[in-house]
Amino acid sequence: MQVEFVNPFVLGTCSVFSTMLGCELARGQLSLKQGLVPEFEVSGLIGLSGRCQGMIVVSLGRETAIKAAEIMLGDRPAELNADVCDAVGEIANMIAGAAKAQLEEYQLSISLPTVICGRNHSVNFPSSSTPFVLPFESAIGPVCIEVGMEPKAGA
Amino acid sequence: MGNKVLVVDDSGTMRKIVIRALNAVGFSDTVEAGDGVDALEMFKNSSIDIVLTDWNMPNKSGVDLAREIRALGSTVPIFMITTESEKGRVMEAIQAGVTDYLMKPFTQEVLQQKLEKYSLA
Repeated sequence: MQVEFVNPFVLGTCSVFSTMLGCELARGQLSLKQGLVPEFEVSGLIGLSGRCQGMIVVSLGRETAIKAAEIMLGDRPAELNADVCDAVGEIANMIAGAAKAQLEEYQLSISLPTVICGRNHSVNFPSSSTPFVLPFESAIGPVCIEVGMEPKAGA
Repeated sequence: MGNKVLVVDDSGTMRKIVIRALNAVGFSDTVEAGDGVDALEMFKNSSIDIVLTDWNMPNKSGVDLAREIRALGSTVPIFMITTESEKGRVMEAIQAGVTDYLMKPFTQEVLQQKLEKYSLA
């Protein structure tokens, strides 16, 4: 794990939750990712490429994801539907974008977001990376950010 | 206010957020598109006064949309709302004809300031 990747994702996550959701986050203990299953049921995935490559996963519980979508949309979705997935994808996009802006030396590009819903789904990070997990608590529920990034060989 | 605003983003959530912010600062006449292809068709077929667009979208990007709007001879203000902040990317957008930038995540106050800067609000 490269520690210089941690703070940009902490700051990006706090900024997005504060600006878009009106939630201040309390950060938990940083740890290395164990296994392939994200912490919660809903995962927003963004790929990163450039002078390093990797992926960020924004992991939210079902109710937290619905509450986040409610705040962003102005109406509460009745269930975990396409609107909720769209909102989670946009949260992941903004967190990745905010972190990318602070990692300018890596000339990163970010992919369009993908959202996966369902219990016990697996996410494979690039095999060369050592993903870390950043847990947060918020007024709408717990959130985990998982980041796996490694500089490209020769970059 | 008579300004008709075209809001372009592949995320329906972001379109709602942008339109809500526009409504709050006095812009009630809005239309929306989910990518640059649909946006360009709307632009050609109706009288649009301001464009707010995302950059990264399927089918046609926001920067290509800006380039094609300028190729039509239009001088309407085009604002890019995006996570792309690197100098090279900003220059690329400006060269394509983008008027100004808003970084995601943005606040209603920042949107208002940008519109006021160009005497639009």
